[in-house]
Amino acid sequence: MAMARSVGTLASLALLPKTDLKGLVERLMGEFTVVGPVPKGKEYVFSPIQSAGDLALDYGTTILPPKKVLHQPFEVLFSFHETEGICEAREPERKQILFGLHACDVYAIQILDRAYTLEYPDPYYGIKRQNTLIIGLNCHQVGPTCFCQSMGTGPGMRQGYDLLLTDLGDQYLVEVGSSSGEALAAALQLFPAPRVMLVEKEKRLDEVRRKFHKRLQTTGLHELLEDNFRHPVWEQLMHQCLACGSCTMVCPTCFCYNVVDKLDLGLKSGKRQREWDSCMLLEYAQVALGHNFRKDRDARIKQRVYHKLVYYEPQFSTIGCVGCGRCISACVKKIDFTETIAILRGE
Amino acid sequence: MKAKPRIAIYKMSSCAGCQLEFLNLEPVLLDVVGALDFSYFVMARRGNLPGPYDIGFVEGAITCGEEIEKLKQARKDCKMLVALGTCACYGGLPSIKNWVPQRVVEGLVYSDLSAIHSTKAYSIDQYVEVDAFLKGCPVNKDELVEFIKGALLGIRPYLRPHSVCVECKLHENVCLFTSKGEVCMGPVTTAGCGALCPSNAKACDGCRGPANDANTESLAHAFLAHGLHKNDIIRKFRKFAGLTPEFSKGVEVV
Ligand code: SF4
Ligand code: SF4
Ligand code: SF4
Ligand code: SF4
Ligand code: SF4
Repeated sequence: MAMARSVGTLASLALLPKTDLKGLVERLMGEFTVVGPVPKGKEYVFSPIQSAGDLALDYGTTILPPKKVLHQPFEVLFSFHETEGICEAREPERKQILFGLHACDVYAIQILDRAYTLEYPDPYYGIKRQNTLIIGLNCHQVGPTCFCQSMGTGPGMRQGYDLLLTDLGDQYLVEVGSSSGEALAAALQLFPAPRVMLVEKEKRLDEVRRKFHKRLQTTGLHELLEDNFRHPVWEQLMHQCLACGSCTMVCPTCFCYNVVDKLDLGLKSGKRQREWDSCMLLEYAQVALGHNFRKDRDARIKQRVYHKLVYYEPQFSTIGCVGCGRCISACVKKIDFTETIAILRGE
Repeated sequence: MKAKPRIAIYKMSSCAGCQLEFLNLEPVLLDVVGALDFSYFVMARRGNLPGPYDIGFVEGAITCGEEIEKLKQARKDCKMLVALGTCACYGGLPSIKNWVPQRVVEGLVYSDLSAIHSTKAYSIDQYVEVDAFLKGCPVNKDELVEFIKGALLGIRPYLRPHSVCVECKLHENVCLFTSKGEVCMGPVTTAGCGALCPSNAKACDGCRGPANDANTESLAHAFLAHGLHKNDIIRKFRKFAGLTPEFSKGVEVV
């Protein structure tokens, strides 16, 4: 009890010996569905875990971002019936914890929060988000396609988490980022840590900061892109790009979706569903009577790049790419917009 | 009450796997039978009834004169004519013979060629107007049901036009191409199968033909970069839909 109170008063810092992690996760699993990184082939995916041993906390990145838990790839919005009308038969959502998220993915969730909870609140996202706590994990390695450092989103997580873990060797430094995080830390009765541990944390992060392979120079990016709308690089990309959509499907900040009605065969009832959509696909900008505003592949490539790097800013007061690198690693043609920007800069 | 639409199912040069999918609709089969009147379906009923029909599903490629006649009659007998499966849509597997001289390829299969008088294998829209195309080897059951519902309601069904990669990613499969060093036709192939093969750790073979913006030249270059032999690349693009302009372009690159 005394310990819980002291964490409360320390209010932000605790230590978790690695040997205690399993027990902690199991306690969390008593109250929450814990979703964390688990292996799939040579890759990793976020998945509800069955035991603490499922977690692969040394993961680099995941195929799909944790966005998929809050804004699902496929989701039934409601069912409808000829006589009974609309039925929003949503199951009560169990409280969940997204465990072990990296800085880029946490930042991306904050962007989604702006897109889905402010001007046009999305109830399906909103309810899941309300029931979700985030336990972040600072990266101690850098993947070959990561460039969060350039985008100012990582590798050190600054906000958006309820609790944040940093690997300090045989223990984790635990930081509290919200009142829910504080309550969680208190309930978990963690050992308070002296503030000097933050120096140790920064030392570790500095090592990580030196490991980046990819960079994207963001100063003057808007002007650069606006001045180069007709640069020949777009046409080169048009010839390379397969319009397969993978880059957008794996992006943690893409929020576009399509809505489809699925009728039952009796044609009297059905379900309204949504699923992720992508501006890289030909049909995305097609309207009634067949006109397509972005028929050409280069127009679609530009839409994606400009949306991420230019158009997000006025709407969401942040750049729309968090530098997670998934679009690069998922692309069969290795199309990489950090390279595109370097070309535009004449580098 | 409106009469149930009368359905005819025709077989041309094919394995009958696509029409079998009607019978494989078990969970909804009774609903389907309740909604449609299968007047002509040789695989499933005795005493088939003559036309006219509301919807005709044609399975198979067209590979001889008799089939051309049968197809033209089907067009006359049916208000709506549907290409059922990749053979009917693109020529399908039978079309792999199109790149070998006719007599040579016939000799590979038959010992007595006197009664054989086949043509190249073509999709049905080479001969008649076709109202809808259900792709796949075999057709996808969900799409088949979506199509039937659309036809009953008189609306355009949602059939995915984009690449298999979209569904593959929605299912969060490990990518065979970028993660396992295999080659995959998914980026240029029409989705709608639920990314069936990659979901079972097998590369897409392109059985559903070209997606709506298939950049086959670029994919052929990626195949080359992966060290694939020229002949293997040609086989990939010719296996199911080699007659389409999109897949022909993939062949031209190598
Ligand atoms: S993943 Fe690559 S090839 Fe596919 S649409 Fe994106 S940029 Fe084009
Ligand atoms: S654009 Fe690419 S690097 Fe940026 S957030 Fe999306 S997937 Fe990650
Ligand atoms: S417009 Fe394109 S880049 Fe922007 S969120 Fe939608 S799919 Fe992603
Ligand atoms: S496995 Fe094939 S279909 Fe799936 S994403 Fe990779 S290339 Fe596309
Ligand atoms: S994954 Fe490719 S080969 Fe397999 S069923 Fe789908 S389209 Fe056909």
